[in-house]
Order: sequence, then structure tokens, then C-alpha cells
Amino acid sequence: MAEGQEHPLSVYFWIWGLLFIISAFSYAVDYFQFQGMLRWSLILIFMFLKAGLIVAIFMHMVWERMALAMAIIGPPVVLLFLIGLMAIEGDYTESTRLEYFGADAGVYAEPHSLAASEEHH
Amino acid sequence: MAYVSIADRDHEQEHHDPQSFITKYIWSQDHKVIAIQYGGTAIFTGLVAMVLSSIFRLQLGFPDVFHFVDPTEYYQLVTMHGMIMIVYMLTALLLGGFGNYLIPLQLGARDMVFPFLNMLSYWFFLLSVIILMSSFFIDGGPTGAGWTLYPPQSISEGTPGVNGGITLMLLSLAVFIIAFTMGGLNYVTTILQARCKGMTLMRMPLSIWGIFVATILGLLAFPALLVAAIMTLLDQLVGTSFFMPEMLSMGEANDYNGGSPILFQHLFWFFGHPEVYIVALPAFGIVSDVLAVHARKNIFGYRMMVWAIVAIGGLSFVVWAHHMYVSGMNPYFGFFFATTTLIIAVPTALKVYNWVLTLWKGNIKLTVPMLFAIGFIFTFTHGGLTGLFLGNVTVDLPLSDTYFVIGHFHLVMGVSPILVIFAALYHWYPKLSGKMFNERLGQIHFWCTLIGTYVVYLPMHYIGILGVPRRYFAYGSDFIPESAYTLNEIITIAAIFTAVSQLLFFINIFWSLKYGKPSGGNPWNATSLEWQTPDTPAKHGNWGHDLPVVYRWPYDYSVPGETADFVPQTVAPRDGVVAGRNHGVSTD
Amino acid sequence: MSSVATQQLETGAKGFVKDWESDKQTFHVPWGKAMMWIFLLSDTFIFSCFLVGYMNVRMSTRVEWPPVSEIFSLSMGGAPIPLLLIAIMTFVLITSSGTMAMAVNMGYRRDRAKTAALMFITAAFGAIFVGMQAFEWSKLIIEEGIRPWGNDFGAPQFGSFFFMITGFHGIHVSIGVIYLAVVALKVLRGDYEKKGYEIVEITGLYWHFVDLVWVFIFAFFYLW
Repeated sequence: MAEGQEHPLSVYFWIWGLLFIISAFSYAVDYFQFQGMLRWSLILIFMFLKAGLIVAIFMHMVWERMALAMAIIGPPVVLLFLIGLMAIEGDYTESTRLEYFGADAGVYAEPHSLAASEEHH
Repeated sequence: MAYVSIADRDHEQEHHDPQSFITKYIWSQDHKVIAIQYGGTAIFTGLVAMVLSSIFRLQLGFPDVFHFVDPTEYYQLVTMHGMIMIVYMLTALLLGGFGNYLIPLQLGARDMVFPFLNMLSYWFFLLSVIILMSSFFIDGGPTGAGWTLYPPQSISEGTPGVNGGITLMLLSLAVFIIAFTMGGLNYVTTILQARCKGMTLMRMPLSIWGIFVATILGLLAFPALLVAAIMTLLDQLVGTSFFMPEMLSMGEANDYNGGSPILFQHLFWFFGHPEVYIVALPAFGIVSDVLAVHARKNIFGYRMMVWAIVAIGGLSFVVWAHHMYVSGMNPYFGFFFATTTLIIAVPTALKVYNWVLTLWKGNIKLTVPMLFAIGFIFTFTHGGLTGLFLGNVTVDLPLSDTYFVIGHFHLVMGVSPILVIFAALYHWYPKLSGKMFNERLGQIHFWCTLIGTYVVYLPMHYIGILGVPRRYFAYGSDFIPESAYTLNEIITIAAIFTAVSQLLFFINIFWSLKYGKPSGGNPWNATSLEWQTPDTPAKHGNWGHDLPVVYRWPYDYSVPGETADFVPQTVAPRDGVVAGRNHGVSTD
Repeated sequence: MSSVATQQLETGAKGFVKDWESDKQTFHVPWGKAMMWIFLLSDTFIFSCFLVGYMNVRMSTRVEWPPVSEIFSLSMGGAPIPLLLIAIMTFVLITSSGTMAMAVNMGYRRDRAKTAALMFITAAFGAIFVGMQAFEWSKLIIEEGIRPWGNDFGAPQFGSFFFMITGFHGIHVSIGVIYLAVVALKVLRGDYEKKGYEIVEITGLYWHFVDLVWVFIFAFFYLW
């Protein structure tokens, strides 16, 4: 009897090709040295596209029943709290360090205004 | 094979009872034996931690009388007491012990889904305990960094056990997490995938719900501790600067550069707060079952109870930094975490109301398990109420690091789960051994424990409000008021009295094993599946030839129109109609 | 999933509710697969905590973060090409994911020889990946002088997090290679003829997860 996840091979070849193309794109982001918000949005878009394709197709999530899919995708939502709050905390820690220790941490120091606009390389 | 055949695996599995002593009791894959191994090891480590607490209580209560503890040892004792009690005793006993024992029995399964992995889980747990205990015997002794192990202190020169104790502690935690993961995967998969016919999720006893959600919390929260432990280990052994800032240590600049100690606290409490509920949720579940059985009444608001457990589990991941109000984190976080902390009190309070309402107009039998369960409602309410104080930033600031905090968390997550553990041990002892314990001895044990713990922890709130700080070896003169000295002495005497009175429990258990009256298969006239096994104690494979079939929820007590005051879950409805509450069926 | 059973089961939101309120089992998958998914969920939290720690430290450091793109560049014909080795490693890992997906497919077609062959190819790509990682590490340590506790380019945490996170990922890959090889051997031996070939899919889940983690490491470590 037919069992498990069986799908036409062509699906896998398509996704395989797509993953290469997206990887090439995200590599290009660095190669052409895009900076700032553009760089970040591109990196994240390509990252989530790749991750989504792997989970959805290679790990067969789109063909799984909703009960399983939700049980696996749901819990990581709490990580968003951790990520968001730790990003805020990182900025805050930096601001306290700059305030109490100053910016002169050797030759690599950067002025406060630059550091505050966090989204640099 | 496809899942269809897995669901009906009962005839496929021919169970050969292991015969030799080794395979039966040592390398056993039977969940009941593993449960006893887990429980026994956890209780043993708990006893060690209890003895440690008695020793440092003597120092605190009578600083001028006893001289066998020096400040270094004091910190080591306090640290080991905390870590052992929380991780190696409570977590291991409630999930490894009760989880292992109850999940297959209450769900009508023959065993865990992967028994070999389950066995491995225990042996890794034992290994972690051995690693931890070995730190008592090495040069420099165990770590004295406090159970939270905050760097930079935990790995800086001058802290007790910095040259080996802390390494062993972190290693032991890592091994424990591996053990827990192996067990936890088994528990969750068994609950989700291996229930018997008719056992829907909404027909599971609340014990299982508590253990289920707690295990999920463990699987998602222990990773944060593992990561924090790995990073601290690397800081200590390799010299990385994850958590270690550049600072003066013992008058010299250290070799570290730019680490963030506060990140450790965030990671630690991202584990640490769910950990509180990893301990509390199984206790919530078990106490609900004990109350319902011994009040001969269905649990009040079953669905509410289930959703409260789930809601507490979810919310427990977004309250962690209420342990860090004074840590120097972003001050705006206080608002967020105080809010979520007070929100989590809502489902918790709901559960307390439901326990009380379960007792309301019940046919209460004041058996020993029931006494402990009712005692739990008191201690948990008292401990929970002080939590509301500490959850608010402005109230917490002056109370931080005082004995108020000690009193709060010992009542709410020390004494309360332990009372439930005793309730559960007495409740399921007949199933475990086939013998009845001594009722009178159990009652004495209960009153000693309850009164003893109250005398220990209530005064702590008072001396905390006076401002007596925790983690002090001795307070000297003129530093704290006279009343605090007197109370400290009283607390110490009560603590030792309570500790010694636990002997009653062990005497009872071992005496009854030999001389107790046979209990029969279902001494409490309970409805849930574990009391319906063909043999008591249940044999390997649990259910004889055929798996049970479930027709109703596990709380059909005192159903109107029934002759007996309980209807087991396995009893089929008469004329196609279930007389009691027919929970969890898709038609309602 | 059994096609026979699928026809009986409702899908979508209605199926979701039915699954959760059913008796016996919630997920219509084998035990091992359910367990692997839950394990991967737990592992997700481990890697997330590592990456969150990395983010927090990188955002809070006062010291310049080393120039990642240059450090990871590889000289080809005299001119340094940024991230070349990483690009190849990504290529290798994605390729291995593709062969793994095909192995799963072949398994369900009960083509033992092709399944085992594809799994061995996957394992080989995994081994190549680990080898390239070893090359990358030694290049970083020997040529660039980057140590876990410090480097000449800037924040010492760069090396700390790099070696820890890629090391942890590398351990996952290595375990995956062994796991794949063992399962492939058993497939070849015909151990799963009676039990069915879900085990190949379960192994595949683990392998794809390793690839998935690399996607995040690639984005956050090499491109940030």
C-alpha cells in the first residue's frame, strides 16, 4: 500500500533549483556590498524563503495534516519575544556601556550616534 | 507500517516478562521500574539536599554556637541545596518518576513508545547525579555561586569551587538535560500517539495534562539552560568572553573582554521561569486528581482546568525577567514583565478556585493523600499571594534578595510541590506495592510536615520585610533587629524538626511494604485507568491480553442514578447512554 | 500518510479539530516521526538561543565587529573573492538535502538499492561539508589568527560565537553523517522490508533540519 510522503520527483528538482538561485541571490547581496535597510531586508527575505522551502517541501510540512504543522510551527512563536526583547536589551546594554565606559575602547571604538543606528554591517 | 496498524499494536506486541534480576530491576525497560529508579534516585538526592539545608540552618540560627560551617562551606551548601532540590529532585521526581509511572497506566498504554530510550534517560540522569555529587569530593568542593550560577561571580577567583565545582555543576546540568530530553520526548510522544481506544485528550486525567504541558515546557526551556551552561563552560575553560566582562578580580584585571553578564541572566531565566511551572504543573494536575478521588466528586470545571494549564504553560515563556528587576536590565522591561506576571496569576487563581469548589459539598474523606492535597491548597495560596507582591516592580525592589523572596518561593515551589508529591506517593503507594500504608503514621507525618513548614516559612516573610538579606553567612550584631535573631532560631529548630519528621514517611513506606495490609487493586474506589489493571502491582505490559477501552472521563464520582459512587472509565454506557458527564466526545 | 486513511480523514481546519479530539493518536504519523519532529522543535530552541546570544552580544559591543566578508574570503587566482568557501559549503549542503529528499522518495517506492545509494551520497556530501568546515577553521586559526578568546580585527566575541555555533552545527552534521550511514546500511540489508521505510523519512527530517540551521547561520553570521 502507498504510505508516507510520496511526491513526484519533479517537485524536488524544482525546489532544489530554487534553493540554489535564492542562495546565489543572498550571496550576491554580500558580493555587491548592499548596505543598510536594503541589505537587511534582502538577507531576511532570502533567508525566510529558503527556510520556508526546506520546511515546506523537503520536510513535507505542506503535506502534513494541520494538527502536526500547527504543533510544530506554533511553539517557536515564544522565541519572537526572546529575540525582540534581547534586541532591545542589546541596544540598552550598549548605551549603558557608552555612558559609563565611554566610546574609547581602543582603536575600534565608534561614536555613539553611529552605534545607535544599529543596522550596520 | 502505516499509523493504522500502530494504533492497534496490542496484539502485535507479545510481552515476554524479563526473568533475571538484572533485566527485571536494573536494565529494565519497563516504565514502572524506570519510574521507581527515577523516583528513588530523586528522593535520595532530595534527602541529601535536605540534610544540607539543616546544616546551614544551624549556622544561621545559632551562629555563635556551632562552628562546623565556615563561610565558604555555607555558600556551597546553599548552592547545592537549591540546585539539587529544583532540578535533580523536583523535576526528576515529578516528570521522571510520576511521569513515567502514570503516563502509560493512565492512558491505557503498555509502555512508553520507546522503552529503550526511556531506560537510557534514567541512566543519563543517574550519571548527572553522580557527576554532581562527585563535586563534594574534589579539591575545593562544589560551587558556591548560588543556585543561579550568575557569572562573573560563578567563575571568578574567590568564589568557592571555582576550580572544579562549577565545571562539574555545568557538566552535570548538560547531562541532565540530555537525560531529560530523552525522557521528555518519550512522554510527549506517548501522550499524543499511544492512548488506548476511547481515550481522547479531553478524557485524560488532569495529572497527565499537567505532566504533558510541563514536559513540553521542559523540552523548550532546557535548551536555554544548556546554551547558558555551554557558554559559561567555554568562558571558564577556553577563556572566551561571552558573559565575562573585563574587571578587577582579587585586585587584578582579568583576561576577559566585553562579555555581557546580563545575557546569562536572560538565558538562565528564560529557562528558569518555565522551570517553576515544570515543577508546578504536574503538581497542579496530580492534586486535582487526588482531590476529586477523595472528595468523591468530579473536578470542578475540567475544561477550565485544562485550558488554565495550557495558558500557564504558554505564558510562562514571557514572564522570565521578573526575576531580574534589580539586575540592571532595560528599565522599561519592568512594565512588560510585571504585566505578564500579573496576567499569569489569573489562570493560576482560577485553578485554586476550582480546587476549593471541588471540595464544596463533596463527600470528603480525610485520608492521608487528601490531607496533603488540602495542605497544598493552603501553602500554594499563601505562596502565590506573596508572588503578587514580588511581581510588581516597585514592591519588588526593596524586597529583592531578602528573606521575603526566600519565604515566597519556598512556599510556592518548594513546600507546595512536595506536599503534592507526598499526596501522590501515599495515593499511588497501594498500586505500586499492593500494600496499604499505616494511616495513623501518615497523619502524624502530615501534621508535622505542614505545621513545621509553616513555622519555617511564615516568619521568613516578616524578617524579609524587616530587610534581612539572603545569602549572608552571619549577620553580626546591630545589623538586624533582635526579633529577627529570635525568629531565626525558631526557624532553625522548626526546620530540623520538619526534616527529622520525614523519617516517619520512610518508616511507614518500608514497614508497610512488609507488614501492610493488602490493598486490593482499587482501594480508593477511583475511576481512572491505573486502578483498573488486572494485576496489582501491574505486571510488565500493564494490561494482560487486551488493552482497556475508555468510555467516559475520569471523574464520574457520585453520579446520580448509579449504585456505586464511582464509575470507572472502562465501564460501557448502559443502553448506549452514559449516565455521568460524557466529556470529550465530539458530539458535545 | 496512508492514502486509504487520508480519504477518510477530513482536512484543513475541520481535520485539525478532529485530530485533536480523537482518541488513540493525535498526529497521523508513526511514533518515530512524531518524536523526531518534537526533538527538532527542541533543537530549534537550542540554536535559537545560541543565535539570540550572538545577536545580543554583537549589538551591545562597543568594539568594532571584525570585517566578516574579508575574513571569510578565499583567494582565487590572486584576487580575494568574499565568502567563496561559504558559498561552496552552502552549495554542498543544499545538494545533500536534494539527494536526501530523493532517497526518501525512493524508500517509499521500495527501491532499496537506490535509497541506500542516495543516502550514502547524502552522507558523503555531509562529510565533504565537515571537511570544508575543518579547512575553514584551520584557515581562520592559522592564517587569520582568530582564536575563541580574541583576534586582531575587533570584538573577541566574533571568534567565540563563530567557533561555538559552527562547531555545534558541525557536530550535528557529523552525527547526521553517522546516522545516515547506519540507516543506509540497514536499508541495504533489507531490515525495513517488513517495518516500512518511514525511517528514511525520519532520518531525512533530521538532515533537512541541519540544512535549515545552516540557512540561518549563513544569513546571520556571514552576511550580517
